[in-house]
Amino acid sequence: MHKTQRLRLRTITLAASLLVAASLSQAVRAETPQSFLDEYRQAAKAQNPAFKGFSAAAGESFYKNKHGGDWSCASCHTDNPTATGKHAVTSKVIQPISPIANPERFSDAAKVNKWFKRNCNDVLKRECTPEEKGNVLTYLLSVK
Amino acid sequence: MRIFNRITVGVAMLAGLGAAAVAHAGSHQYGPYPASYVEECGSCHVPYPPQRMTQAGWETQMNNLQRHFGTDASIDASVSKAILSYLIANASTKEKSAPADPTARMTKTRWFIKEHGTTPPQGKSLSNCSVCHTQAEKGDYSERTLKTPTGWRHAD
Repeated sequence: MHKTQRLRLRTITLAASLLVAASLSQAVRAETPQSFLDEYRQAAKAQNPAFKGFSAAAGESFYKNKHGGDWSCASCHTDNPTATGKHAVTSKVIQPISPIANPERFSDAAKVNKWFKRNCNDVLKRECTPEEKGNVLTYLLSVK
Repeated sequence: MRIFNRITVGVAMLAGLGAAAVAHAGSHQYGPYPASYVEECGSCHVPYPPQRMTQAGWETQMNNLQRHFGTDASIDASVSKAILSYLIANASTKEKSAPADPTARMTKTRWFIKEHGTTPPQGKSLSNCSVCHTQAEKGDYSERTLKTPTGWRHAD
């Protein structure tokens, strides 16, 4: 193989492995509360062109409202989202839902999606809308 | 890259589940549990020992997670399948641990009722094992770590 050919091949290999490394590091990149807010904002806009932005006040009333059922978010997570909660049926301790009090919250899309799906079903008997999720997260981030 | 993430998680999880907890009859030690079992079945209640219900009971539980004692406890289909395999591989074969009601509550099995005597419910159910079994979270239900409530007595 000619020297320049070899060099080119080496360059290509290096570039390819860098690309793989870059995409791998992206794959393990954890989400943040802000990245969830961005995602919900985009989805809320797509659903409702009149959407103006999230509201901590709306999030707080959503969080504390029973929505016609037996439970609110606060039933397990307590009225203070930075506090340790307790499961309404089993009494098991639940670590704070607030990402400020508990940095593990809103750091993993699979977990966030799983729990929103389950818990919205428990409280509202349906999935939550992107606007509701964004309002609640805005509220959680507003309680220091 | 999401799909690779999924696959990696899946493989890691299966490897974890493969190393199923070893329980010795009479030792009341059931842990350590696989990480994915703790994650999926140990968030709202302690992860219950698979050895304490029969295959039929676990199948009922895992097939009805969307309506799991008043809450939606649904999990990813692939994870759910792996967990059911783990539960079945370690399930009890004794009649006294067979489900005794349509929802297959472990607390209604003949074994549970006999063992737990006059235990009063904590809150709304008997699902909070840790109240008396202080190390239940780790799968340790030994006498050594047991704190029975005052006045407790064994069922007749």
